[in-house]
Amino acid sequence: MKVEGLVPRVQGQTLWKQAVWVLLLAVASQLSAIGLAQPAPSTPPPDFSPRVFEIARELRCPVCQGESAGESNAGIAVEMRRIIDEQLAQGKTEAEIRQFFVQRYGDWILYEPPARGLTLWVWLSPLIGLGLLGFGLWRYLVRVKARAHTTASDVSDEEIARLESELNRTPERS
Amino acid sequence: MLRFWPIWVLLLGGLFYWGMQRPNPNELQSVLVGKPAPAFSLPLLEPYREAFGPEMGIGERVEKPVLLNIWASWCIPCRTEAPLLERFHQQYKDQVLILGVNVQDKETDALKFIQQYGLTFPSVYDGRGRIGIEYGYYGVPETFVIDRNGTILARHAGELSEAQLQGYLRQVLQ
Repeated sequence: MKVEGLVPRVQGQTLWKQAVWVLLLAVASQLSAIGLAQPAPSTPPPDFSPRVFEIARELRCPVCQGESAGESNAGIAVEMRRIIDEQLAQGKTEAEIRQFFVQRYGDWILYEPPARGLTLWVWLSPLIGLGLLGFGLWRYLVRVKARAHTTASDVSDEEIARLESELNRTPERS
Repeated sequence: MLRFWPIWVLLLGGLFYWGMQRPNPNELQSVLVGKPAPAFSLPLLEPYREAFGPEMGIGERVEKPVLLNIWASWCIPCRTEAPLLERFHQQYKDQVLILGVNVQDKETDALKFIQQYGLTFPSVYDGRGRIGIEYGYYGVPETFVIDRNGTILARHAGELSEAQLQGYLRQVLQ
C-alpha cells in the first residue's frame, strides 16, 4: 500500500476544485458585469431625446398600473413618446404637449393634476388639516395655562402659609 | 372640540356620501363625449379595398351614425365581440356604419383574424395606435358611438354585450 501516492492525488483534487471555483467566480463576475452594464429601466433608449422622456414621465401610461409613459414599454406609451418627439420637433412647448394629452384623456393623464376645481381640495386639504391641528393645539395650550392659573389662585392663604412653614422647617437630626 | 360632535359626524357622513356618489373610476368616462369625433383617414385592410376604396375614416361630416370599434387580433375580448359586431353589421348596415380600427397589431395577424371570423364590416389599419390616442383610448376593445352630426355620444371600454350594443344603436338611431 503506497501511502505517499495519495498525497499528490489529494493535492491534485484540491487544485481541480480550486480551479473550478476560480472559473465559476470568473463566470459569475462576468455575468454580474453584464448585468450591471444593462441600462436601468428608466434610462432613455437612444431613439428619443431625454427631454421626450422628461415630459413622458409626467404623463400616465393609459394601459399600465402605476407606470408613466416615460417608463413603460407598452405600445401605447411608445407611441405617446413618439408624439411628444414629433411635437417638440414642431416647436411646441411642454405645456402645449401636455395640453394635447389632457384634451384627449382629461386631467387624469397628468401625474400632477392642476390645482383647480375638485383637485384644488386635494392640494389644499393638507394645509387645512395643518391649520386645524394648530388651532386645536393652541386652544389646548390656552386651556392648560388658564387651568394652571386657576389652580394657583384657588389655594387658600391658610394652605400657602402651611406649605411655606413646611418648606422653611429645618430638618431634624436623628 | 368634542362638544361639536354632531357637526363632526355630519361632516364625515357628508364626505362619505359624496365619495359614494362619485362616478365609478372603472367606467373610464371619456372627455370627448359630446365633442366632435377626431377626424382621420387610414388605409383600409386589403379585403375591404375593393368595396370601400383605399382609405376610410371619420371626416368632418359623416353620412350615417358610426360605431368606431378599436380592436387587435391578440385581444381575447375582441374575439368574442367580433361575431356580435358582424351580426349587427349584417342587420343594420344600411342605418349604421361599423368601422373597425386595428391598432398595435401586425397586419398579417389582423388579416388572419378577419378571415377567421368572416368580418365584412370595414376595418382600417393603425399599427402604432395613433388614432387610438387621438380618441383617448385605454386599451382594446373600445367602441365610440358617433351620431349623424359627427359628435361622440358615448365611449364603451371593454367587450360589448348584445344588450349594450342594442342600447347604443337605439341611442344613435333615435
